[in-house]
Amino acid sequence: MSTKNNTATTLAGVHEASFRDPSGYMFYDGDTLRRVINPIYFPQYNKLKESGFFKTLIKQGLLIPHTETSVADDKIVITPEPIPFITNPYEWSFQQYKHAALHTLRLQKYALSNGFILKDASAYNVTFHKGKPVFIDTLSFDFYEEGTPWRAYKQFITHFFGPLVLAKYHGTDIFKMLQTHIDGIPVKLISSMLPGKTKLSATIHTNIHLLAKMESKHSEDYKAETKVARLSKKQQSNILESLFNFIKKLELNESTEWGNYYDKTNYEAAAFEGKKKLIREWVTPLTPQRLIDVGGNDGTFARTVLDTVPDVLVTDIDSNAVDYNYTQVQENKETNMLPFVCDVLQPAPGIGFNNTERNSLIERLKEYNPDITMALALIHHITLSGNVPFVKSAEFFAKFSGTLIIEFPKREDSWVESLLVRKREFMNHFDFYNETNFETGYNQFFTIEKKETVPGTKRVLYLLKRK
Amino acid sequence: MNFLYFDPGLGAMIVQAVVAAAAGVLLFSKNAWYKVKAFFGLLKEEDDTYDSIDIDDKEDTETNLDEHKK
Repeated sequence: MSTKNNTATTLAGVHEASFRDPSGYMFYDGDTLRRVINPIYFPQYNKLKESGFFKTLIKQGLLIPHTETSVADDKIVITPEPIPFITNPYEWSFQQYKHAALHTLRLQKYALSNGFILKDASAYNVTFHKGKPVFIDTLSFDFYEEGTPWRAYKQFITHFFGPLVLAKYHGTDIFKMLQTHIDGIPVKLISSMLPGKTKLSATIHTNIHLLAKMESKHSEDYKAETKVARLSKKQQSNILESLFNFIKKLELNESTEWGNYYDKTNYEAAAFEGKKKLIREWVTPLTPQRLIDVGGNDGTFARTVLDTVPDVLVTDIDSNAVDYNYTQVQENKETNMLPFVCDVLQPAPGIGFNNTERNSLIERLKEYNPDITMALALIHHITLSGNVPFVKSAEFFAKFSGTLIIEFPKREDSWVESLLVRKREFMNHFDFYNETNFETGYNQFFTIEKKETVPGTKRVLYLLKRK
Repeated sequence: MNFLYFDPGLGAMIVQAVVAAAAGVLLFSKNAWYKVKAFFGLLKEEDDTYDSIDIDDKEDTETNLDEHKK
């Protein structure tokens, strides 16, 4: 693991994301993240361990593996396998979100058939690791009590089912609502945002519209007097299966098939290959352990070095590109590539209690501490579309990158020309956009190690080292 | 023992009976339709990581029992 992230921990080293559950908590032991299990959870933990439940889930790659570090009367300490970078639900593409939801249902169904339940169904209990979704909250399992409804049902709707159905009608920007609603989108809000015709779907009607109605009706039961209905195991399993089938078939309405951006590039195939070659030549000798490609699209350029870098992140603002990248990860069974959605001009903030329950993107990137950051064909968007001065974008990259490979398209590049033309009468406000000013701005935080024109293009590739 | 460290929502607990009933009808008709399609040889092979909700667990006795029933 890289250096401990101080902002994610209290003085005692307790991880800020794990204070809600009385069963235990996460803490940093030096640089290692471990989990303490409180005596209140000993019976569950022992049963899950002895029955082979944990073993099966870990073997199947569904639950993050852990080792038992110490056992005492007052606490058990386990050490989970480290995950280099945690992505949050608002950074997932549609397929990723879908897979995380299906993953959760699968776990609950399996738990149920083994006499356990998932006591919560938070989307934050799933993250992507080694190319697949994995469940990371080892203490989320509890004993099943015969005849009880699923306690985490509503949470599953507000964290998974609701956002997915909303995305179908409104697009994947809906997932960003999870940034302002850390415990999922309220059912009433989901219901109100869905088109009337969704009432005709038995699955959406019962799981969302009816649920919203029932929640309002019973919201004033302060004394918890109303008797909770009983639900057989078979009935519960029907709910799970029906949600599973529905989500599996869910597709975006405006399913803009990934249009292959690289067909629309303004340079020749030879130049494209030249750029790939150049990147490979620059990256390989640096033997990076971790690399991030910011604005990396569908991962085309990151894939040129994927065989030499143990861990690669690729972000893009376009959820479709991320989705396409994720599909490739799955098809090629790549375990060292993690795609996620990120808008550089508006990176994910720190959210939740104290603003520290979920770390901001920059905090997580600092902790990830990539050996190389790539920013190809990105600076003209940041500078011209986002009106961000060079020195400010340099400051951004310097926060988490020791080495930066950045591509600078000159004014003569057709994409830059088009961005400038769109400024119309304000075009001359952007006269500063040139190589010299770029270098001056970036020189405040970096030194130029290498500089080369990509053959056959009006673009310059820089290798910069942080000062 | 259950720890109710978050409010599961009373409405959400009650509604599950209705949701389950609807789900039961849907699954029943889905299975019936599946059998009709299978009878006429219209089934397509689906290939997806998340094709089935059931975890393929060889040690799972429940699945073994199902196998014996067939």
